[in-house]
Amino acid sequence: MPTPASPSAVLPIAHAALRLVILLNWLMGAAIVVLLVAMPNERWIMSAFDLTPSPDTDRLIMALRAIAVIGIGIIPLHYAILKRLLAMVESVRSGDPFVAANAARLETIARALLVLQLLSLVIAAIAKTVSTPAHPVDLDAGFSITGWLAVLLTFLLARVFAEGTRMRDDLEGTV
Amino acid sequence: MAIIVKLDDLLHDRRMTLTELADRVGMTLANLSILKTGKARAIRFSTLEAICQALSCQPGDLLRFEPEHRSSTEATR
Repeated sequence: MPTPASPSAVLPIAHAALRLVILLNWLMGAAIVVLLVAMPNERWIMSAFDLTPSPDTDRLIMALRAIAVIGIGIIPLHYAILKRLLAMVESVRSGDPFVAANAARLETIARALLVLQLLSLVIAAIAKTVSTPAHPVDLDAGFSITGWLAVLLTFLLARVFAEGTRMRDDLEGTV
Repeated sequence: MAIIVKLDDLLHDRRMTLTELADRVGMTLANLSILKTGKARAIRFSTLEAICQALSCQPGDLLRFEPEHRSSTEATR
């Protein structure tokens, strides 16, 4: 039977931080929904972004709405990642992190991170399409070497966990 | 599992209990029970050596291979 490792301050902090980020994620989702649904007035958007009426402006507003819709889709992905991270932190706290469930969680996290990176590329492409010298759209989206590295590392870590779990199971059955 | 552990038969033949064997080979009773009931996934050579020494037997006396039904069907193809 595995025994819990010596208490560390990192785990309670990680647990609390993840719970906070989960809450902030839902709040961010709610804010996007409010922006998209409760404020459909184009004039409000134009004044908020200091835009003047033109065909480019219509395209820009459409693009911003499309990005907001993608943003709503990103919220459940964030939640899927955070919920699994929280469960993993719990398993570390209980002293038994090398279980098949954690390998599966990491695999799901890696897939979610992959989708997030792809969506980031889509957002960057939309922004680039509608960006003009008069109305430059500068979003923090697009290709990120660290983001793709995180995807790769998470897939790798999932395999390491799966293999580690299998080896531990073998070791436990060895006499 | 296609490998059958015949520890029960060996102990019976030698009029020895599992607890006595555990004492002689320096293993826990729980681990020996896992081996006896066929729940072990692997056995160390050092364990095999200790048991063979304690029971004065060969590894082949302790283990037997019995092909499972599916394996035997595949083997005949």
